[in-house]
Amino acid sequence: MTTKRGLITDSFKVVKKARRLRGKRERRPSPPPQQEAETKTIREDELQRLRQFDLDWRFGPCTGISRLQRWERAKLHGLNPPEEIRELLLQTHTDPQYNLSLWSEYPI
Amino acid sequence: MFSDLSAQKEGSSLLCRPASENQGPVFERMLLAYSPCCERFKAGERSFGRQYAHIYAARLMQMRPVLSARAQQKWGTDVLIRKLCDMETGEQCCIVGTLFKRMDLQPSILKEISEEHNLLPQPPRAKYINESDELILEDELQRIKLEGKIEKDKCVTGSVIAIYGAERTDGKFTVEDYCTADLPLQPTRPELSSDRFVLLASGLGLDSSQGDSMLGLQLLVDMVTGQLGDLGEQSGAATISRVILAGNLLSQSTQDKEASIKAKYLTKKTQAGSVDAIRVLDELLLQLVASLPVDVMPGQYDPTNYTLPQQPLHRCMFPLSSAYPTLQLEHNPYQANIHGVRFLGTSGQNVCDIQRYSSMDSHLEILEETLRLRHLAPTAPDTLGCYPYYQKDPFILEDCPHVYFSGNAPTFESKLLKGPDGQEVLLVTIPEFSSTQMACLVNLRTLQCEPVSFSSFCTDEDEECEMNVSH
Repeated sequence: MTTKRGLITDSFKVVKKARRLRGKRERRPSPPPQQEAETKTIREDELQRLRQFDLDWRFGPCTGISRLQRWERAKLHGLNPPEEIRELLLQTHTDPQYNLSLWSEYPI
Repeated sequence: MFSDLSAQKEGSSLLCRPASENQGPVFERMLLAYSPCCERFKAGERSFGRQYAHIYAARLMQMRPVLSARAQQKWGTDVLIRKLCDMETGEQCCIVGTLFKRMDLQPSILKEISEEHNLLPQPPRAKYINESDELILEDELQRIKLEGKIEKDKCVTGSVIAIYGAERTDGKFTVEDYCTADLPLQPTRPELSSDRFVLLASGLGLDSSQGDSMLGLQLLVDMVTGQLGDLGEQSGAATISRVILAGNLLSQSTQDKEASIKAKYLTKKTQAGSVDAIRVLDELLLQLVASLPVDVMPGQYDPTNYTLPQQPLHRCMFPLSSAYPTLQLEHNPYQANIHGVRFLGTSGQNVCDIQRYSSMDSHLEILEETLRLRHLAPTAPDTLGCYPYYQKDPFILEDCPHVYFSGNAPTFESKLLKGPDGQEVLLVTIPEFSSTQMACLVNLRTLQCEPVSFSSFCTDEDEECEMNVSH
């Protein structure tokens, strides 16, 4: 019975090769290293501020809701959340790294 | 009162010849302005991906300013209001937080499925309180065990209170006094020149296999629509301007639990038990809505969602009566202004749940307690199903109702409660109609309430076979 079935590696060999190739292709059109480092630090800085906002216990739990929803709840209950967080979130509302909380990748 | 209005005045008009060919006097039904205020109970997005931590956080955020003000009112403006994290041992202070009662007997799904314990599932109990229960107060960050002058059996999980006392060296907090949010402010009630009534009924308990027990219900319908009694009673019926049916329109037996366990091919041709019951309900409602506006709230056993707030029953279930604009399918909890008189109430799930998890037994007492806690259902989401809100807790009372009711109570009770700021609230527990054959009438002018009994031929009580429509 077992001999009739093909080996599992037969179907997965191809994928492994393809992934290596894709990795190489992506790396090629990347911006020059200096510019990349600059944008990276700004982004890092913004994300760091947002993470600090997530960890501020005064505004309630942060899992399961977006950062903007949490900001608005805090505003509604008069807890004076920082205004610049809202501006930052509104500017970058398409980026999931910005608008979802620190723990969003963990399953509940 | 209604009984005085409908009492026979000069002789009965029943045992005499009809006056003339035309049908005699016509009593015009008195209708009142009505505006539902149920926006906060309407389901918007239905996302169940959140945890319940948010609803507790929102509850505490909303209640903290109210309770801080109450604490200052009670213990002086210089009272030290602390968070648990900055409290020092031995310091007299006030803390605002959410109560949590740790209960050994409380059923827990995790305990039951845990293989290590190998426990049998606990049988359902009437009460889950026990000697070993512990009261714990939680704020945003920490929790502390409570001892002292606080009745742990009376308190329930989820209530937000302010406590006054000091922390001892062993880490427990000795409560000297505590206060609740108490009654919110009340909008003024307009004066009415004459008596107007709203009929409250709950727990009709319809199912497919009843015929003779419908008599009481039919008498109720006939009384309201003015087809019962003599001219005096009919003129009284005309002053009933609205009917509120507070849940459990269908009986528990219509919920066929077996159907969900059985294989599909076995239940293919069987009909759900609720289909016939809904048809009976539709016919009953048709008689009522043809005559006056009716608000229908769903209850625990009705075909809608289980979690609070329950959404209205769907119109398509009532093909006959939904043609009338007088049929109002409402949410549970129910909130509306009837001629400026604010009604707020539930079908009784919140009260029954508190009864199970506290030492309080009287539905009226529990109803008053929820009003003092300023929260409709403090035990939600702990032991009562509730939608995972994140922004606001819709069950917090923002203003004080004039009539506050809960349905499906074992007996009729009512009380006029007077608040410290001149609030007047009528508390009513609406008896379950199927077991008591009773409904109640609220007078909007005086805020008085009286029961109406339709007890009739009872199958189990042979002695009392007299038909009795008493007020």
